[in-house]
Amino acid sequence: MSNQEETLVQNVQDFGESEGKQSIERCLTFESGGLVMFLSTEYVTEIINDYPITPIPLVPSFIKGVINVRGRIFPALDIRLCMGMPQLEYTNKTCIIMLNIDSTVLGIVVDSVQKVMDIDLNQVHPIPIKRRQKLLDGMVTVEDGRVLMSFDYKALASGQYN
Amino acid sequence: MDNGMESMLDTYLYETNSLLDRLDEMLVADEETEDFSTDDVNEIFRIMHTIKGSSAMMEFGSLSTIAHRIEDLFFYIRDKGISSLAHEHRKELFNLMFRSEDQLRGEVAKVESGSPLSENIDEFTAEIEGFLAKISGNGDSSQDEASTAGASGQTAAEDDSALPDDPQAACFIHIFLEEGVGMENLRAYMIVNALKEVGADFRYYPANMDTDSGTCQTIIENGFFLAFDSQENTSMAEDILKTQNHIHSYEIVEPAAKETTQPEAEAPAALPEQPVSAPAAKEAPAPKQESGAAAPASHAPVKQSLISVNLSKLDSLVDIVGEIVITESMVTASPELSHLPRDSYDNFMQSARQLRKLTDDLQDISMSLRMVPISGVFQKMNRIVRDMKQKLNKDVRLTVIGENTEVDKTIIDSIQDPIMHIVRNSMDHGIEETAAERIAAGKDPQGELILSASHSSSEVVISISDDGYGMDAGKLLAKAREKGLLTKPESEYSQKEALGLIMLPGFSTNQTVTEYSGRGVGMDVVKKNIEAVGGTVSLTSELGVGTTITMSIPLTLAIVTGMKVTVGNSIFTIPISNIRQSFKVRNEEVVLDECGHEMVDRMGTFYPIIRLHRFYNLDTEITSIEDGILLWVEASDRSYCLFVDDLIDEQQVVVKSLPSFFNEFGLKNAGITGCTILGDGNISIILDILTLYMAAIETI
Repeated sequence: MSNQEETLVQNVQDFGESEGKQSIERCLTFESGGLVMFLSTEYVTEIINDYPITPIPLVPSFIKGVINVRGRIFPALDIRLCMGMPQLEYTNKTCIIMLNIDSTVLGIVVDSVQKVMDIDLNQVHPIPIKRRQKLLDGMVTVEDGRVLMSFDYKALASGQYN
Repeated sequence: MDNGMESMLDTYLYETNSLLDRLDEMLVADEETEDFSTDDVNEIFRIMHTIKGSSAMMEFGSLSTIAHRIEDLFFYIRDKGISSLAHEHRKELFNLMFRSEDQLRGEVAKVESGSPLSENIDEFTAEIEGFLAKISGNGDSSQDEASTAGASGQTAAEDDSALPDDPQAACFIHIFLEEGVGMENLRAYMIVNALKEVGADFRYYPANMDTDSGTCQTIIENGFFLAFDSQENTSMAEDILKTQNHIHSYEIVEPAAKETTQPEAEAPAALPEQPVSAPAAKEAPAPKQESGAAAPASHAPVKQSLISVNLSKLDSLVDIVGEIVITESMVTASPELSHLPRDSYDNFMQSARQLRKLTDDLQDISMSLRMVPISGVFQKMNRIVRDMKQKLNKDVRLTVIGENTEVDKTIIDSIQDPIMHIVRNSMDHGIEETAAERIAAGKDPQGELILSASHSSSEVVISISDDGYGMDAGKLLAKAREKGLLTKPESEYSQKEALGLIMLPGFSTNQTVTEYSGRGVGMDVVKKNIEAVGGTVSLTSELGVGTTITMSIPLTLAIVTGMKVTVGNSIFTIPISNIRQSFKVRNEEVVLDECGHEMVDRMGTFYPIIRLHRFYNLDTEITSIEDGILLWVEASDRSYCLFVDDLIDEQQVVVKSLPSFFNEFGLKNAGITGCTILGDGNISIILDILTLYMAAIETI
């Protein structure tokens, strides 16, 4: 626990003093609805697939329902539906990424998980379009020329995105 | 480090609070008889002593000082005997003690909330001192007596191991206590008491060991003596001595020869712990003599059989046990088992059955851990009634029935305030203002308030009834009209509905706000609190006869026996206690209103039908009322029928709350209270019949 907190503090400090310097973060990249997104591995607790999701009535459609992970019940959200894209049939590539964001645990359903890579946070730029939905909070071009989107996990956990 | 201090504080708070609870209990009970029993005086003395000591250790000065003053006061009372107090002093003493208790509780509350303790308690301590001075005014020789006792203790200490001077004694028993047992004089006295119990005739030396702690040292060094007039008595006493604790050794000494007639007998040190306190406390030979002995003794057994456990640990235990039960059924129902050869399968199932039995037991026990008797809550009501009796000048007796009924701890916490509120209301508004009024109405001049608790299947039923004014439905209606709370013409309200008005927010029948009730946040809060723990409140009242408020609360929130039903792909669990009946209907039995809402006749009354798939917007193939099944459900005073696809079976389930992520969607108000994990690992949603009704029918 305290270890985690320490790294968190470390990160905050990095953010503060890293003008011009590098701020490397290990990130998990995944694909959903044709977009490749990344988020810090620090918040990822595990990746599971082929998992039954129990639907919950009366909630927005992007909340797929709840899942039972070893006796604990967590919500599961479909990133595709969050972005307003049509539902895809879940395949064996479909994964649920379990996130623990400030002790809110939830799962996000993504089309596929790609890999873990280092991303320099200072290279992440804001998205130059005024948008209503705020699921992404930045973009970055990586070495192989691909453009990755920074996934705004905080907005997701705090329920800002609804 | 911090942690150590925290847990010390926890222990301190727990101990002090339970001591204060005990004090409260005694004070209320003793006030009835207007007398303290000797045991209670000792107990109060001990309680104050403990609070003083532990508070001083925790450096809570104000608590320690107050406790110290009361200890002084009770030291005096213990010394003189309660009977020495004049009648009016006693009354004053009770009031003083109640106020001291409040003062102490107030300080403890400050410790709990982390706010600074009162700096200035001089006024209060001066009051206690003043009272002590007043009662000791008529018998100021106490100091002298104590000092002479002390002096004689000294002299006794001086004449060493020599046999005490007792010419009549035919035989002495010289007893040594175990080293380092502490409070030697009291332990010696306990032994003396035990001997007295069996009717032995003897004298003991030092004679003042019960009152003078100075004899401690003497007893440690030289042991103590029992002097017997005859040999029979001696041998009888010897038998008793063998059953006593803390005796290191004893020898029988003949005074003439001063020789040991028997070899030193080792006392049976390994005897099972015997509650020495029991006989000592039961019998009270002479109040003054018994005083010291009961104090340390009566405390010991309590500590041995009870431990306090952090509630969160219990919660996680219950959670894990729930998981074990589920995992166990996952294992035993696993489809892979069918591949086993016949013999192995039988063997496996045999072990599995044994496991099932054990897990069932485990579950029962872990559930029972959380159950506590409701007496604690009722005890507090005793105190409230007592205080209000004085303030309002009403003569009321509180009758408590079934205080040993056990209820889940979390429920206890949430019903205390509602019960308190109702009791206050009954005292304030329910019971007639004067005895004359009651006599005129042909009632006993003393009002009665009955608190009762009992179990009924899966619920605990708590009722609070008074024999006061009763409620006037007409007045309630008029009041509701005045406040604009009526939702339909007055004439359409039934008696029951009119009484129910009192539970609406913003309704208070009394014109004036009193200290105890009448802020207009009364019964609606009660109702809300009770419903929050899944209970219901109902009210019956007859004008001029009295009012009864009944609360039915589920025994435990953690486990529910539910009926599993399917709707499309979803499995819902409906608490079995809500289900009255399940049945099939034919199309022609369903009656429609002008908007197409469906109703069905059950035993002469029409009930609305809620189609679960429609309300929750679920896909299902079963949409014709003839294909599915109807469940007649009831909660509180709402009754309706639920249309579902099919019933699966009945099962005990462990209730889990939905992730807090869902809070903002208000599912609680739409009939979804939580969920549970089924044997196959799937999740089932638990429905709340009452809120489902509100969401589906009342918002149409």
